[in-house]
Amino acid sequence: MIAIIDYGMGNVRSVFNALDFVGRDARITSDQTQIDRASHIILPGVGSFGDAMRNLRERHLDDILTVQVAEKGKPILGICLGLQIMARVSEEHGRHEGLGWFDAEVRRFQFDEAGLKIPHVGWNDIHLQIEHPIFANLKEAERSFYFVHSYHVVCRGNLYVAATCRYGFDFACAIARDNIVATQFHPEKSQDNGIQVIENFVNWKP
Amino acid sequence: MVKKRIIPKFLLRDGRLAKGVRFLENMREAGNPVSTAKVYDSYGVDELIFLDIDATDASRMAVCSVIERVSEEIFMPFTAGGGVSQLQDVNALLRAGADKVSVNTAAVTKPGFVREAARAFGDQCIVVSVDYCRVEGGKHRVFINGGKTLTESDPIEWALKMQDNHCGEILLCSIDRDGTMSGYDLEMIARLAEKLEIPLIASSGAGSLKDCQQALDAGASAITISSMFFFTDHSPIKVRSYLFSQGLNVRASKSSRN
Repeated sequence: MIAIIDYGMGNVRSVFNALDFVGRDARITSDQTQIDRASHIILPGVGSFGDAMRNLRERHLDDILTVQVAEKGKPILGICLGLQIMARVSEEHGRHEGLGWFDAEVRRFQFDEAGLKIPHVGWNDIHLQIEHPIFANLKEAERSFYFVHSYHVVCRGNLYVAATCRYGFDFACAIARDNIVATQFHPEKSQDNGIQVIENFVNWKP
Repeated sequence: MVKKRIIPKFLLRDGRLAKGVRFLENMREAGNPVSTAKVYDSYGVDELIFLDIDATDASRMAVCSVIERVSEEIFMPFTAGGGVSQLQDVNALLRAGADKVSVNTAAVTKPGFVREAARAFGDQCIVVSVDYCRVEGGKHRVFINGGKTLTESDPIEWALKMQDNHCGEILLCSIDRDGTMSGYDLEMIARLAEKLEIPLIASSGAGSLKDCQQALDAGASAITISSMFFFTDHSPIKVRSYLFSQGLNVRASKSSRN
């Protein structure tokens, strides 16, 4: 069973539908027992960083997830804001501490180049920096995925950067370490490529 | 770099597709939204917009059910709207599977609404639909209530104000051109795109491949197409191939992506 973490941050149904589409049993949950029983965890999220962390803490999910991920080594996929809250800190509307699983900061897009709109919304190509199982067997030669965000993650060093994307500059659009992987783009909204990423994740045994 | 988007815009009435001219004239039945959405998914369009033109409670519930059914089978971004005037309307559409919600009338009649919705659900969730028409004296004015009610606002000033209120995108619709397939309002698109910091989705008037190119060249981040897809033989594949051949940054056609 795959646990989709429900902490009141955005549209979790699409993630559920995508898992259903690839034939996997999924639960939308914030319950510790359910999460404990899951083979894989997905941490989605849309909204603001501060709200997300507050909601996680209120439900004790910060501790529950850290135990599952750090001690039990369970595979987890963060999506969009779910990626960002894995960072150490964010500057979105003040300064907020994240889960700290990656030595990374979340910053707002800032461009020297004129004409670049914020949010970064739409389809953009990703460039793999490492071979990661969740990017295996992508059927489409064009590796474009759907993004919608105004903030992006900046990793200290390039150790954790699994893929980059160019919007004004190259930013980390997928990060990975051990049993943790996260994407800034929305695989559940990225048609065939995205479904492949979801399928790869649920078959991943790190 | 981020690609220019091609977005079919679906108007719904009681859960069925409809398309007219200049918002209110010659409304024609245009099919089943779920099966049509699946066809467009197979064409590899970038996004879908569903707008309920009845904007009654019953009709909006029908839209939710359409979105629910579409999002079970299609994995791409959806914008939904029509009569959205309360936070719970936004929530219902997002829960049904929409990624973004379009607001039109309530942005005018409830001045704090866009800001409040953006704060509750995130800036990127809220799309303000700016419907405008040329009025006496050659000025342009914003209309609400599905093009039926004139307001005092200039569309550019209004769009910039909505940006200040934290909406994530502007959907710019020319009532004069809607359904006419006579080309987008390029002058308005260019003037607004230059001033906006958020993406502009240009709507109304697509009738030819050249029209699509011109709207994107004028500065739109995305274009919506309705009548041209429903009532001519232009498919999204044709539009995409043409734009690609003209050097625009669009996704390759689905058939050639493999």
